[in-house]
Amino acid sequence: MVQTTVVGTYPRIGETFEEQALRRGIARLDRGEIGEADLQVVERDTVRDVLREQNEIGIDLVTDGQISWYDSQSHFAGKLTSIEINGLVRYFDTNTYYRQPVVSGAVGWKEPVFVDEWKFAQSNSKAPVKAVLTGPVTLASLALDKHYRSKKTLALDLATAIGEEVGTLVQAGASHVQIDEPILTRHPNDLSLVSESLERIRSHKSSATLTLFTFFGDVATIYKDLAEVPADILGLDLVQGSATWTPLAKHGSTKPLVLGLVDARNTKEEDPAAIAKKALDLKSAIDLKSSYLSPSNGLEFLPRDRARKKLRILRAAAKKVGVGA
Amino acid sequence: MRTLEEKATSEWIRFQEEIGIDILVDGEQYRGDMATYFAENLEGTEISGLVRSYGNRYYKKPIIVDELKRRGPISVDWFTFAQAQTERPVKGMITGPYTMMDWSFDEYYGSRADACLAFAKLLHEEAVALEAAGAKVVQVDEPALSTRFDELPLLVKAVGIVTKGLTAKTVLHTCYGNYNEIFDYFNQLPVDQLDLEMSNSGLDLLERFKREPLKKEIAFGVVDVHSHVIEPESLIRERIEKALTIFSPAKLYIDPDCGLKTRSVEEAQGKLRNMVAAARAVRKARGLT
Repeated sequence: MVQTTVVGTYPRIGETFEEQALRRGIARLDRGEIGEADLQVVERDTVRDVLREQNEIGIDLVTDGQISWYDSQSHFAGKLTSIEINGLVRYFDTNTYYRQPVVSGAVGWKEPVFVDEWKFAQSNSKAPVKAVLTGPVTLASLALDKHYRSKKTLALDLATAIGEEVGTLVQAGASHVQIDEPILTRHPNDLSLVSESLERIRSHKSSATLTLFTFFGDVATIYKDLAEVPADILGLDLVQGSATWTPLAKHGSTKPLVLGLVDARNTKEEDPAAIAKKALDLKSAIDLKSSYLSPSNGLEFLPRDRARKKLRILRAAAKKVGVGA
Repeated sequence: MRTLEEKATSEWIRFQEEIGIDILVDGEQYRGDMATYFAENLEGTEISGLVRSYGNRYYKKPIIVDELKRRGPISVDWFTFAQAQTERPVKGMITGPYTMMDWSFDEYYGSRADACLAFAKLLHEEAVALEAAGAKVVQVDEPALSTRFDELPLLVKAVGIVTKGLTAKTVLHTCYGNYNEIFDYFNQLPVDQLDLEMSNSGLDLLERFKREPLKKEIAFGVVDVHSHVIEPESLIRERIEKALTIFSPAKLYIDPDCGLKTRSVEEAQGKLRNMVAAARAVRKARGLT
């Protein structure tokens, strides 16, 4: 039977009073009523809830929902040397915004950013918790570079920093590490740079499983080469990136895949049988048993109740794949 | 609730008059969210749970569940209420069709273009109704403008449907996008004035406008609405002077980068006061009326 996983983010708040604790906590921090340590308690309660929801639904490989991240770019980049965080910029084609990292000197890793968060999450989850990091090429592409004046050099230095971070995560016990490179759906020509930077990260991963995930679009034009990148698993958005389906079905994959088949950007509910059928259509092209079903991208673009529904659809679809396999 | 909203609207109109703003807004005190407000007043929609925009900001996102239809005027009675409080022009404010589409979940149309054009048709009726109610300026807000560059022709078409046949001055507001990517479309937008967030973008665009002139009026954002800092008059004055190196005074309007609802009352008032003072100082120094 195919397994299930998520991509990364999870809605931070829901509709009930209890589910809005994090929003209230951040507002209280902004007003100076509580300190950072108090907010961390609220964040961790939320992480616990997010993990419980994924565990209860039966997701096989979960994340901490990236609850403590301000956004996908500034959270990690802001803790590296020579990076300041600036104004708001739209995040790809979403209705969300990130604070733009501004690079003013040589970028370097200072200290672990995610290790404590990951340890806490794993201690509160039955299922393994995947450590998710934004990839160096996406980070370099979305930053304002005032130092290197070369995306490649910046990306490779970021890759070195991410490699250090991955090393500490693996040492702490992380068995799954995912690198997100959504930029590949916009700039397929960056594939060779993604491969080169993954080599640097890979050298720190030890026995952990390394996944490369692309989302917010298709990678049809580079699919064949993408399948050769130095990662153990390849994650694909097959909703917004439905055009990837054709080369995927044609060439298959020797690597296990994460099939992003459930639309994480629209509330419309899919029929689990239809999702299962799509996965089963790939039965002869990929190894379904070592692959995963997932939402098409992080779940934070949906309201929390809808995100839960999508995960149930995912789980039901995986069960149907098991029956049909 | 209506009484409180009217009171707040009157107060903001009075404040804008007192500090000397020339073209006013009603402050949208009665709108929870710019997209949700229009969606909940149309048929064919439901409103979702909360979705994050950035930081600690969330909004309830519309869900299109059936064919979109307009029950009747949406924002016209509020425009009429606000305009009755002042001799100065109050802008009619419409959330644009592309943003309405992009910020809604679609469970009905199944095509972004179809949903966008359906919104455009209904918002045109709203724009016509605002003009009939006396609006001399109609602003179409399209913060989603720079979302997908390949859809810019769709946005131009949809905004064109909204503004078609209007005699009122039409404005398109957008913010927080990669302007360099959309620059080529600025002159194609079917409006009289372009309203851009400029201070948050570090005034980066000015050089480009120098090379490739804008053939419309510009409303030039000079205060950052996402910063708690109240920019001093001197800084705003510098920004206006920089704008005047590119744009003629007759075609230049000064405003905040975006709506001020994320700021406290004190911050919003401080920013607006300094903005007006800076504009006046520049006018005086240059002998402009």
